[in-house]
Amino acid sequence: MPRGLKIKKQSFLTEAECRIVHEGSCRLLEETGVELTNPKALNLFKEGGAIQKGNRIKMSRDMINRAVEKTAKNFIMKAKDPENELILDTKSPRVHFGTGGQALYVLRKENGMFKKKEAVTQDLVDILRICEKLDHVDFITRPVEPDVPDEEMDLEKTRLFLAHTTKHMNLANLIIEDCLPDIIEKVGDRSSISFISCVAVSPLNLVSPTVEKFIRIVSEDIPVAISSCPQAGLTAPLSEVGEIIQVNAEILSAVVLANLVRPGAKVLYRGIPITSNLHLDVSPRWCQPESIRRIALISDITYFYGIPCCGTAAVSDEKKPTSQALSEKVLGWIFEAASGAQFINSALGMLEQVMTVSPEQYIIDDMGISLVKKYLSMHPGADLKETGREVVFKALETFDVKTTREMEKEIANRIEFIYSPKEEYSPDYINNQVDHIVNAVSSAKSSSKFLKDSRKGLRKGWLYMGKRIEGAMNLKEVLKTKDGILGMRLRGT
Amino acid sequence: MADILGEIKKNLIAGRVDREDEGFDEDMVGQPGVTELVRQALEENIPPADILNEALTPGMEEVGVLFEEGEYMVPDMLASAECIAEATKILEPYFSGQEIQSRGKFVIATVEGDLHDVGKNIVSTILQASGFEVQDLGTCVKADDIVSIVKETKAGFLGLSALLTSTMTHMKETIDKLKEEGLRDQVVVCIGGAPVSEEFAQKIGADLYGEDAFDAINKLDKINAPGN
Repeated sequence: MPRGLKIKKQSFLTEAECRIVHEGSCRLLEETGVELTNPKALNLFKEGGAIQKGNRIKMSRDMINRAVEKTAKNFIMKAKDPENELILDTKSPRVHFGTGGQALYVLRKENGMFKKKEAVTQDLVDILRICEKLDHVDFITRPVEPDVPDEEMDLEKTRLFLAHTTKHMNLANLIIEDCLPDIIEKVGDRSSISFISCVAVSPLNLVSPTVEKFIRIVSEDIPVAISSCPQAGLTAPLSEVGEIIQVNAEILSAVVLANLVRPGAKVLYRGIPITSNLHLDVSPRWCQPESIRRIALISDITYFYGIPCCGTAAVSDEKKPTSQALSEKVLGWIFEAASGAQFINSALGMLEQVMTVSPEQYIIDDMGISLVKKYLSMHPGADLKETGREVVFKALETFDVKTTREMEKEIANRIEFIYSPKEEYSPDYINNQVDHIVNAVSSAKSSSKFLKDSRKGLRKGWLYMGKRIEGAMNLKEVLKTKDGILGMRLRGT
Repeated sequence: MADILGEIKKNLIAGRVDREDEGFDEDMVGQPGVTELVRQALEENIPPADILNEALTPGMEEVGVLFEEGEYMVPDMLASAECIAEATKILEPYFSGQEIQSRGKFVIATVEGDLHDVGKNIVSTILQASGFEVQDLGTCVKADDIVSIVKETKAGFLGLSALLTSTMTHMKETIDKLKEEGLRDQVVVCIGGAPVSEEFAQKIGADLYGEDAFDAINKLDKINAPGN
């Protein structure tokens, strides 16, 4: 029985809406293109028929469509233990939950209090051991880096993964390109590893030296997630439609490059169109309802192309395990899983967005995912307005949180917001958003342009404003499970 | 005279730099914004000091109050700050000899290996609007280059930005090079960016950590540059 949750996918966008998003993204890539200065990538693009104009490379609709057609539509991500293999296929989707990273700090429970410390190699080992034991962690993305010099990082990370997990190893970033052959030699079967490449920086920029590492990974036939994470209102339009068009163009440009390197490239589509806290400090809003919605919409776009989706979920602002963090995480997972993202690279075990990991949070999150899986299996295709609320409440009750009518109302409001489109997906509106992006990209400071353009959307309520979920959690069982896995070896306990 | 100063203030509060700007209202497109109105006021022989003291400064103060009250949000603040920055450029020649009171020279850069500039650009605009003379060195700037500009300009403030955990180490490298050059005591080093924190600032020996642009300005209000 392969790993992963068989689901009945729920869609937020129709095929026709996905098609006009695609048209908008193609217009952007044809008329404006992406900024690119890396000579190797420029040569590949030009040999493939793209046109260089200054520091931008423009590609035709045909070139984009051909690349999408060639891209691998299904592949297996292997693991040391064959039972832990993951089958990625949009035609027969299975949802897999994994961890994310990279954090700088670890939260340790000492004398009943949570204390934040700098993460070191031992924390990576501890987390690998915890995740190996957790039933609902299907793959592991490196949560923290080992504290060794950069030149030793890639091989040390690989060594620790091999020693402590039998699950699929997502090594996330490649620090030194020339270490790749040694990594492959160490792991033996190259399909048991994968990477994430943050090759696109918004707006519309394929950056060096990441692009060079991306080319190397693809040429070695190793699965790689193409990542683009704009922040609406800062590095993309605040508009949902505008941001989706832009993130799609950014990822498509890298899909084209991947297929120029190796036709049939094994890539995952990792579009993360989140928003920014434009009310206060422009920090990223990952788990707020409008971002959960946008991330779920991306899954629809990946199904439109038939390219496996690397999803995102569970990034909370909370600094320690709380009811608010749990409710945000569970809501994120249920929508991302229902939307059919096959490889959910989530902030499992993480807090303070992705800055901190917590051994306890890994165990809490595993319980949260188990509930999400249970409800989605029991009620395939069910209306998430009801199911979503039930799962969040069940998760809170698992930790003895006293639920109230106010909490119920808040969760219902969040879900309602996720379900409610604020803009239309019409050809005219798409063209209008493309024009906004083109204007911003061609101005000296695109972020100022996006910020100023966001004023109207802000006043239309495009950013969700709600209340916190408050309530003390009972973590006794969590601590017991953690100690059971790690024994007394945990530092400071 | 009062009318045009009132118009400048009104457009500053609406964050309309020029006639292309819609501010909050599409119907405003085509009507003069702050830059056109400042030029018009100068043509009408309104003293530059009056434009500064009776329109721009009180306008920006009102924007600050609206932000504190939660009615205005970051983009509103930034739009008004841009108006101030553009208006100051027009007024500068009229103040040569008297000079607009500067709060000091501020060199700002995103450190080596990091191409992210959104936060830096916002801070840069807000600093200019707050009266600093800002020299923005851009992104991916080597520690040596930053230090040589600080030396050359005798800047009293240095702002370092990083978004990546892998590049924040260059902040310490820059501070160490300032020490090597004997410049450390002459410059207030401010750091910011998603992965950095108050603890990190203390650890690497920076003087100030700004959680965001407004936090940085508030903290800068409380200190003076060593050279000033």
